[in-house]
Formats: sequence, C-alpha cells, structure tokens
Amino acid sequence: MKGQPLQAPSFSLELRNVSRSLPSGRAQLSILSDISLGIRSGQFAAILGPSGSGKSTLLGLMAGLDRPSSGQILIDGEPIEALEEDALALLRRKKIGFVFQSFQLLPNLTAKENVLFPLELLGLEGAEDRADGLLAAVGLGQRGHHYPVQLSGGEQQRVALARAFAPEPSILLADEPTGNLDSATGEAVLNLLTRLWKESRATLVLVTHDQELAVRAERRIHLRDGRIHLDEGNA
Amino acid sequence: MSLAFLLRAALRESRGSRGKLMFFAACLAVGVAAVVAVSGLTLGVERGIRAQARQLLAADIVVSAYRDLPASLESVITKVPGSRSTRVREMVTVASVRGEGDAPGKSQLVELKAVEEGYPFHGELKLDPSRPLMTLLDPQSAVAGPDVLTRLGVSVGGRIFIGSAEYTITGIVKAEPDRIAGAFSLGPRIFVSQEGLDRAGIVQFGSRVLRKLLIKLPGMPSAQEAERAVQVVRSLTGDSTAYKIESSSDAQPALRQGLSRVDRFLSLVALLSLIVGGAGVAQTVRAWLATRLDSLAILKCLGMRPREVLALYLVQIVLLGLFASLIGALAGSGILLLVPHVLRDVLPDGWISPFAAAAWGKGLALGTVVSLFFSLPPLLEALRVPPARVLRRDVEPLPGGRAVTLLAGLAVLSSLYFVSLVQARSVSHAFFFTLGILAAAGILAAMSALLVRTIGKAPRGKLPLWLRHGLTGVARPGSGTMASLVALGLGILVVVAMALVERHLTVELRSSLPKDAPTAFLIDIQPDQWSGVKRLLEEEGAGRVDSVPMIMARLSAIDGKPVEEIAREKASGGDSENRLWALTREQRLTYADALPPDNKVVEGKLWSLPGRPELSVEEKFAKKTLGIRAGAVLEFDIQGVPVTFTVSSLRSVDWRTFGINFFWVAEPGTLDAAPQSRLAAARIEEEKEPIVQDRLARQFPNVTMIRTREVLSRIAGILEKLGVAVQFLGFFSVAAGLILLGGAVSAGSVRKAREMAVLKVLGMTRPGVSGVLASEYALTGLVAGVIGTAGGTLLAWAVVTQGFEMAWKPSYAVLTLAPLVTIVLTSIAGLAASLRAIRVRPLEALRTE
Repeated sequence: MKGQPLQAPSFSLELRNVSRSLPSGRAQLSILSDISLGIRSGQFAAILGPSGSGKSTLLGLMAGLDRPSSGQILIDGEPIEALEEDALALLRRKKIGFVFQSFQLLPNLTAKENVLFPLELLGLEGAEDRADGLLAAVGLGQRGHHYPVQLSGGEQQRVALARAFAPEPSILLADEPTGNLDSATGEAVLNLLTRLWKESRATLVLVTHDQELAVRAERRIHLRDGRIHLDEGNA
Repeated sequence: MSLAFLLRAALRESRGSRGKLMFFAACLAVGVAAVVAVSGLTLGVERGIRAQARQLLAADIVVSAYRDLPASLESVITKVPGSRSTRVREMVTVASVRGEGDAPGKSQLVELKAVEEGYPFHGELKLDPSRPLMTLLDPQSAVAGPDVLTRLGVSVGGRIFIGSAEYTITGIVKAEPDRIAGAFSLGPRIFVSQEGLDRAGIVQFGSRVLRKLLIKLPGMPSAQEAERAVQVVRSLTGDSTAYKIESSSDAQPALRQGLSRVDRFLSLVALLSLIVGGAGVAQTVRAWLATRLDSLAILKCLGMRPREVLALYLVQIVLLGLFASLIGALAGSGILLLVPHVLRDVLPDGWISPFAAAAWGKGLALGTVVSLFFSLPPLLEALRVPPARVLRRDVEPLPGGRAVTLLAGLAVLSSLYFVSLVQARSVSHAFFFTLGILAAAGILAAMSALLVRTIGKAPRGKLPLWLRHGLTGVARPGSGTMASLVALGLGILVVVAMALVERHLTVELRSSLPKDAPTAFLIDIQPDQWSGVKRLLEEEGAGRVDSVPMIMARLSAIDGKPVEEIAREKASGGDSENRLWALTREQRLTYADALPPDNKVVEGKLWSLPGRPELSVEEKFAKKTLGIRAGAVLEFDIQGVPVTFTVSSLRSVDWRTFGINFFWVAEPGTLDAAPQSRLAAARIEEEKEPIVQDRLARQFPNVTMIRTREVLSRIAGILEKLGVAVQFLGFFSVAAGLILLGGAVSAGSVRKAREMAVLKVLGMTRPGVSGVLASEYALTGLVAGVIGTAGGTLLAWAVVTQGFEMAWKPSYAVLTLAPLVTIVLTSIAGLAASLRAIRVRPLEALRTE
C-alpha cells in the first residue's frame, strides 16, 4: 500500500509520506516513517499497535496537534501541515472531535459546561438545548451540574463523548478511550461511541492496543515500529 | 468569540483557581496598599507643605513692587473665577511716643503694614485680644508687635505717633503668618488700616512703599492651577519685570531644597514598593499557570486559538488585578485613616485625606497595569504549551520561545517605565529607575545562576541528609530557584536600600540645624556703632559674634549689557520670575579679605587681579541665575555711583551653617568708602534676648535685632515633621516588602508538595521533610539575603552620595541583620506556606496534580 496513489477528494483524512522524528540527544529518533493512508468520509478506522509503535503520535498529526517532520496531511483535501496555530485551532474547532484515554475534561467546568464549551466557541444557536440533549443521550441528563471530580471515570468519559460529538465534527479521533476504564464500563463507553458515530456519520479514527475493541471497526491499520504493518478492511 | 462568552468562560475557568489566585490578590493588594498609602501621604504632605508655603505668603499669589501696581491687576478676580484679592502696603518708618515735658519721647524704627479686609488669606494672625484684625483697626488705631510696646514703653490703650497722626494701640500682634517670608525684618511690626496709613501723611512722592496685592485662589489649587493663575497675573502686569510675582510653590530656598529631597525620596519609595508587588504577581501567576497547563492544552485542542486563550487568561488577570487593587486601595485608605492618630503630634490636622481620588486612581491604575504586564512573561510562556500535551505529557513546547520571551520582556520593560513615569513624573528619573531595576534584576539573576551552579557542583557527600536534600532542592535544574531568588533578592534590595537611604536622610534632616547657629541678626548698625554694639553683646554673654559690612547696590550691567535688557530677553525666553527678580532687585554686597570657613573657591582665584576691583560670586547664583563665570565684568550702581567689578572667583557656600553669607563678596578696599551699614550675627541665650533688645533700643535705637529662634523653630518644626513622615513611609514600605517576600516564597512552595510526598513514600518522616524544606528555604534566604543586601547597599550608596550629595556612613548593623532576618523570614514563610504539604498524606499529594 505504501506510496499507492490515492484520489484526494474521496478521503476525509489523508496522509502522504508522513514521517515524524524527535531529537534524542544529538541523534533523531524516528517515531513514524513514511506513512501514507487515506480514510474515507464516514469510515470507522482503528489504529492498532503495541506500546511505542507511534499510534498516539499518528493521531496527534491527524488532529493538527503536532506537525510532521516531512510529508503531507490533508483534511477534506486541504493540506494542514503548514497551517499556523490559529488556523489549526479553527480547523479543530469546526471539524474535529476528540476523546482521550484520560478524558481531558476541563476541571473547573461542570459536565454541562464542558459539553457547552465547543458549541459556545462556535457561537452556535441553541447550544444549551443541544448540550442537555447530548448529556441525556449519554445517560447523564441529571448530572450536568457536577464537576469532573464528582464523576466516575466512565461518567467522565461519557461527558467527553458528548463534548466530542456536540459540534457535529466531521472527524472524530479517539485515543484509547477505554484505556482508563474497567472492562464493563469500557464496553458501555465503546457501545455509546459506536452508536453516536453511526448517528452522526462522522469519520471515526480509534487508537487502541486492544484487538477486541478493534474488531468493531470497519478497517484496522496495524502499526509496528512507526510503519504501517498491515491494513485490514481497506475496501 | 464574543466578549460575553469570553467573560463567562474566564469566570468559569477561574473557579478552581480562586484559592490560588487569592494569593495573587494578596501580593498585589499589599503593593497597591503601599502605593495608595504612600501616594495619599505624599499628596497630603505635599498639600500640607503647600498650605504652609501659602501661610508664608499669607496668600496663593503675591504681586509686589516699590511702585503703584497696575490698576488692571484688580481684574484678576474676574479673570480667575472664585479668586479674591486684598491690598497691602508696607514701609519702614519711625513710631514714637510723646515725651515727658519738652523732652523727646522714645522712638523706634518700625515696619508699618497697612491692610484691609481679607488679610491674611492663609495662615493665622495671632492677636491679643483674640479678635479679627479688622475689628481692631479703624483709621485712628494701630495694632503693634510686643517689641514696639516694650521699646516705646506703652501698652494696649496707649497712644503712639506715626508721621503726623496719633493712633491708639488696640491690640498686640503675637504671630504673623508671612513674617518670615522676607529676608530680614528692619523693625518690629505695626498694623494700621489703609485709611490709617493715608492719615499719617508719610506716603509722599519718592517714599519707599512696598505695594502688594495678595491673591487667594479658590479651594486648594494644584501646582498647575497655581501656575495658570500666575500666568494670568503676569499678563495683567504687562509682563513687566518691575513687578515681583511669588506663588505658594516658591518657598524659602533652604526649605525648598529639603522638600525636593524628600519629594524625590517619596517617589522612589513608592516606585520600589510597587516593583516588589510586581515580582510577587509574576511569581504567583507562574505558579498558578503551572497548574493550568493541562487545561490550556485542552482549550487549544478544542479549537481555541492561541490569542483567544491569551484573552481568556488576560481577562482573568485583569479582573483579579482590579479586584486586588480595590482591596489594596481600601487597605491603603485604612492605613491613611490611622496615620493622623499615629502621627498626631507631627502631622497637622487635616493634612491627610484617606480617600483621595488621585491616590485611588493611581493605585488602581498602577495595580492593574502591573498585574497585567508582569503576568505576561509567565502567561506567554505557558501559552507555548502544545495541544499535543493532551496525548502525551512529555511533548516539547511550541516554537517561538525566543520571540515570545523578547516580547514579554519588552512588555514588562515598557510597563516598568510607564509606572516609573507616573510615579516619578520625570522622564529622566523614570529612565534611570527602570535602568536601575533592570541592572539589579540582571545582576541578581547572574549571581543567582552562579551560586546555583556552584551549589550544584559542590561535594555534599558528608553533609547531613536534610542539608544535602536542601542543597539539591536549590540546585536542581528547573527548581524555580532562580526566579524566587531574583524576586526575593529584589525585595531585600528594596528594603535594605530604603532603610539605608531613609536613615541617611533622617539623620541629615536632623543634623542640618547646627547647634551653634546664630540666634539673632542685628541689622542697620552704623559703622561707628559696631564697637559699642559688640561690647554690649559680649557683656550679655553672646557667643559667636560675627559682623560684616553691608552695602546696598543695584546690578546695572553684565559684560556691558544693561540688566534691564537681559531681564527682558530672559523673560521672553521663559525664565522664571524669581530668576529675573534676582537680576533687578536690590543687591547686598559685603567685602572681606578672607572668606568664611563655610565658603570654598571653586573657580578662579580670590583677589588675584592686581589693579582691578574684584568680586567673588556664589557659584549657583552666578551660573544658574546670572549665567556668568569667572572673568565676567559687572557694573553696579551704588547709591548713584557706578562701580565696575571683575568676577575673579566663584565660590560654593554651605548655607546649612546659618552663618552670615553673601552672594557677592567684594575685594577689600573697593567698597570701603561706599555708604554702608553693618550686619551682625550672634548666639544669645534665650532669656537674655529681651535684655539685649532693651539695651540696644536704649543705646542704639536705629539697630534692629531679629530673633532667629522663631524662624529656626518654624523651619526645624517643618523638617522634623517631614523626617517623621519619611521614617513612617520607610517603615511602611519595609513592612510591605517583607510581606511580599513571604508571598514570593509561599507561591513557589506550592510545587513542593509532590516532591515531599515522594520523600515520604521513600520513608522520610515529617520532621525530616520539614528539615529538608527549612534548609532549602534558609539557603534561598541566605543567597537572596546576601545578594539583595549587597545590591541594596550599593543602590543606597549611589542615591545618598550622588542623588542627595550627602556623606556615606556604612551601617554594619544593616549589613549583618538583613541576611540573617531574610534567612529567618524565608524559613518561616516557606515552612508556613508548606504546612499543608507537610501534613498531607503522600498518596493524596501524588494523586492530585
């Protein structure tokens, strides 16, 4: 698959020969090398790999949180690797939702305010109703006034899901969303995630080291030592 | 992003941080309280001093001339709304009493003052009986000084003659507000009404009558308002140099010199205390933001642009800065409320207004500006947090560090200059102050870096465990030691410098009144009377009897150019009225073979031009007022006779000795034949003064004795009051500096909790952990104390010797005490701030981030 020419417009997310290395002492430590892949709009892709294989780095690059050392990253056909911080922030605001392993809720905001935040940032009408609706959809309709510290891990992750889907992003990136949860809670969160994905028809990229979670994805991209080792279900 | 959302988001975001930010508020509030208290006190003292200066003039503005004042001048009261005016005429004449039988009665040279309703506008005229002056005066009555009564042997109800008219004494003048405004008085005072003076028939063509118009401005005019009014008055006199215009901002030169020193010092105190507050703010914001890095990353991740994140935090800081400044201003007002009670004996009633709008405005503005700009460096640095931090903790910060640091540095620099400018009201003072602070911070940072590196490399194998860990805590890279060392060092520098400068200034103010200063000046002694007068003084035990000849003259030309012409040119060049007056007024000259010991030739050589009449001129008068140097040729008019002198030397005069000194000293032989009198000074015991006066009145009726104890005690009183005010301000700012020192330590100690938790997990006991912390804070205190004390001493030395031109006296007590006190204070403050961290269970500390 490496270097295979791809038709840009059909991809929601596309990487062309992307490498990322970090300085380590005087040498450069290669994290990702020469990654090329395209994820179609609405596709559910899982990125798999053992610890240190570069999964999270790849996700960070896709979200414009990090910059590649070389190569091109395109979102809806637009290259993003050269964009200013401001433009990247606006891109994330409009197009990308996130779910993290450690939830990353704003600790000083209540559950509802966390969900409201991206909506308010976009200046959307009816933000309150949408936040209430989403909290109800994730089963936390009555917990909106609670602060993150007052919620369990599973509840926090459900708030994070509501926040991620609130602005109706075209791409949703999830980094080990069940990594900090026990298996039953993890299962519930994953069910919720896939349900919300189906309803929204967003492109979903899930990073995990758990093969069982990946089974639910339409496509599974295996990373090993910073390279794509296997790409299953890339129809 | 709407403003409403920004405010909402800022309020939400600040929720969890409010506890931490209370410390920011406390730091800033203390600084602002200092600024408001100092500013309120300065304003009050300034206003009070201005009020005293007004008393010396008995008005806000006085126009005077030995000729009729222009009629147009009366219109000043319509040109300056709310102002009032009153006329005064003064002349020297003789008062006498009817003699026994045909024998002539006693007579006395007196200073006659004719007044009308309104006099005095400012200051208190103390009369016996205690009634308003104008109720005691009608055209047939007079109010006289006690000296007149003593010398003429009359009492209240008695009658005296002035000119051709007879007057009944209706009261005694005990104190006059504007009595010391002139140089010397020629005789005791008699007050009459304007009609009373006309009745005497002594105001004739050629009479030497000083005509004055006293003008009172509405309320308590600022220096600018007074200056504007002076401009109006000047234009009404047709810009003529013939009229002398004085305003309350011109007080006596000696007093002015003292005041400007104090003023400079007060500005400096306020400025320095503000910077310590800024350092505290920067420290607290840094500590606060360190706990907000995750949130910053999440905000960016959710699509907030860097500038929006900046705005979000700036809004929080400005709101908090404003809130803290308000609390500080309130606290400052609280202090100002206490000031009159604490300083009841030294600060006159009504000097201090605790809620002065100007002080509040300054406090709020400076507090907010300082909080905003001093927060920028840590804020801009924190903004470099990469959004990828949400994925991994160890990602490197965003690029652009150098530019951001530069920008933040420039912001702090410009704010520093701005607040300095506001406080010092002088571009050059603000510039040098900013430069000084930068140099101090730079030197402190360099020394701290050197010390931290030395500590890091020093072998510590055999030291006790607690000390070893304490040393490691100071030397560890990224421990934040540098920042707190600089902040602490700067605080100590301020405290030490202030304590030293204040000490020098107070000592100087106290000792500027020599114990052996003359207590009486005798004027108008005829040359042939001097031996008799001298014998009389010696018989009454007078000490330090000194006498010089005095010749009255007018300066007519400088280097061939008529003085009137020079004055006109200078007036159009915007020179001050005082300087012009100095050219055209009557000059007093003396001649002497050698100079008194408090004189020193600084340019040229005394009596070094054979064959040419020489003159030695006081240096500042020559250079600043006249604009001449050695070699200038001056022409004088001595009672109608032109005399030409060459200036062969300039000399400095130490006016603080209160000895007899002249601007002009002529070569002996040049003026011996000129009409002259003698001026004498002597130190006479207080109880002997009336006896000397009586004997002089009987034997030498034309000699007038001026008792300088009253003048001296008034000046001493003012200086003493100022000294105490300065001391109080010094103590206040020292205290403010100390609180901020503690604050800086506490702000830095928050991050210690986790480190200590690790030590506890590894088995260290609470006392052990306390020992580690105490040794670390003590070491920080030692380094900051030594560096700050050294810097503060250097700064104080520069200010004292260069700024105030005083001699430097090292204070070993301060040099040893300051570092010791710093060690104790940093240890206490550090441990107190770490109490929770010491007590908290390790697991709790490790869980919370």
